[in-house]
Amino acid sequence: MGAASLIVLILAAIAFSAGAILIAKVVTKATKNKQKAEPYESGIPTRGPSWVQFNVGYYLFALLFLIFDVELIFLYPWAVAAKKVGLLALVEIIIFFFILFMGFLYAHKKGALKWK
Amino acid sequence: MSIFFLLLQQELLLTAIIFVLLFVKLSTKQWNSQTVLSFVNILLVVNLAAGFFFKEKGTLFGDMFQTNDLLRFEKNILNLGTLLISLQAYNWLLKHKHAIEFYLLMLSTLLGMFFMLSSSNLLMFYVGLELASIPLAALANFDLDKKRSSEAAMKYIMSSAFASGLLLFGISLIYGMVGSVNFTDIAVAASENPLFLFGFILLIAGFGFKISAVPFHLWTADVYEGAPVAVTSYLSVISKGSMLFVMTSVLSTVFANLLFQWYNIVAVLAVLSMIVGNLFAIRQQNIKRFLAFSSISQVGFILIGMSGANIESHSSVVYFVLVYLFSNLAAFAVINVISEASGKENIDDYKGLYKTNPALTWVLAIALFSLAGIPPTAGFFGKFFLLLGGASKGNYLLIIVAALNMVISLYYYLRIIKAMFMDANETPVEKLAISWSPKISMAVCMAGIVVTGIISGAYEYIYSLLK
Amino acid sequence: MSDIPISHILFVSTALFFIGMYGLFTRRNMITMLMAIELILNSVNINFVVFNKYLYPDKLDGIFFTIFIVTIAAAEAAVAIAIIINLYRSHKSIDVEDATDMKY
Repeated sequence: MGAASLIVLILAAIAFSAGAILIAKVVTKATKNKQKAEPYESGIPTRGPSWVQFNVGYYLFALLFLIFDVELIFLYPWAVAAKKVGLLALVEIIIFFFILFMGFLYAHKKGALKWK
Repeated sequence: MSIFFLLLQQELLLTAIIFVLLFVKLSTKQWNSQTVLSFVNILLVVNLAAGFFFKEKGTLFGDMFQTNDLLRFEKNILNLGTLLISLQAYNWLLKHKHAIEFYLLMLSTLLGMFFMLSSSNLLMFYVGLELASIPLAALANFDLDKKRSSEAAMKYIMSSAFASGLLLFGISLIYGMVGSVNFTDIAVAASENPLFLFGFILLIAGFGFKISAVPFHLWTADVYEGAPVAVTSYLSVISKGSMLFVMTSVLSTVFANLLFQWYNIVAVLAVLSMIVGNLFAIRQQNIKRFLAFSSISQVGFILIGMSGANIESHSSVVYFVLVYLFSNLAAFAVINVISEASGKENIDDYKGLYKTNPALTWVLAIALFSLAGIPPTAGFFGKFFLLLGGASKGNYLLIIVAALNMVISLYYYLRIIKAMFMDANETPVEKLAISWSPKISMAVCMAGIVVTGIISGAYEYIYSLLK
Repeated sequence: MSDIPISHILFVSTALFFIGMYGLFTRRNMITMLMAIELILNSVNINFVVFNKYLYPDKLDGIFFTIFIVTIAAAEAAVAIAIIINLYRSHKSIDVEDATDMKY
């Protein structure tokens, strides 16, 4: 057991999948035509461009969510130390959330939370 | 508890101002922009004045934050520069609909610089650095409907993110070797271990990006040209100055053991910055781009002073940044007035300026003389002390290169002065009425150029702070 | 866990760092460049956590550094994407080759 068996397993996996593809290539007769190159969508021809632009509003929401979501990471170390530090920890986290809340209020005031 | 407030006085005051402005923005009442701008400028004056009243020194947050007389003085310099830029931007912001956001972002970056200056820990340093550079990218985009402004912002955020990536990789390697991110622990453990050296070089590369020393300068000219004039002056003076303060003290205290290595790196950076900055400055047509390359070559001179690694050279760097602040901001004040009134930013547009606007011409001329280092302006003494500081290592070749570069720089600074005074122009900038706020800013800058040069007390004061 | 030697993990993080750098220099789409920068920052995160866990397990400096890097990277990405959206509004493209109004 150990590394040797792992290597054998990986080699066997590669050989098996590569072999299947190779055999298929040798046995079948490949044809190239225009219809084959078309994107396949439930057997129906595609309509309109397939590169659709998303509304920029999604990005605004995503950005706001990202910021406020990631900032919560600081709660984990705080929670570990809170009991030991005592009342000061409570004051500090209130200041922290006050700052975040001000940012949130600003976003609200700017109308970033309204769907346009 | 009270010592906490005294030590953090400058940072707390700045935070208070930011919150006051945020409340003004959030209030339902629609404020007149003239009132708001005057109010902000008064707050900034108070902020500057309050910095001179406290003398406490010490450390906070378990040795993460330190403050002393020199750091207080450096923060006062930055406060002064911010106030001057705010005065210069008055007319531009009057028409801008996001004036309060401009101040929110600018003061946040200033707060970041304060924490960066006061850091005695790489973690605090990194957080301060990012707080100082991320809002600056948003500021560079502040001419929202101009194509060049958003392009400049994109270039700035990409290069600064890459630079902080390099810096962080360096910090992580240093942490791996030392086991701590405290400056005192790193200073003890600094050695010629290959991994530590690799981390150290990456750290210097990160520094180099922020001060735009030469192999790392490629973003500078584009960002300076595209950003609004007020933001350009902020980038070139405040942002760069704070980084130079930090770099000088970090290199000379934390990495004192590696003096030989960083002396060579800094010397190479200095020579390259001076030569490339000067050669590119000669062929520029846009005056903001021109000042970008001129500031790159000034950084080269500062790096020569920095390479001295003793108290004299350290104080010469701080002194030169003070002088550079006055000279560069005087130049930007004139550019701001002209660009605001006529939208002209090319050097050719400055031809014949003396005929229509003699006062502005004299201000710009004195500022350029000071940047070129011609006596009796302060720039001469600044460069003199820098070269004296660099010469203490005995590497006279470096000093000769610097002196030659001073001659080259004289050529292109005089080119603009000649254009303004002598060249004829069929469509010169018309006669401009200058409002009170840029006038105050220019007067302070002119006084600064003269006073810091003639009165030797300025240098001696900085020297006494370092002892 | 201790079966894996530290050098293996450092190899991964260094590879990630240079993949990020390569991506940043070769890709011309700004969003992809931003992803490359995130790769660089994440390689740094791996470095910090590994050094902390293997070499200095009694203190938590490295882990805290990682937390700060994660949050600041998020802030940086937010500002960068906002700038890219603004750039798209003025240039109608997020290809860096199209944002070349200013050159030497």
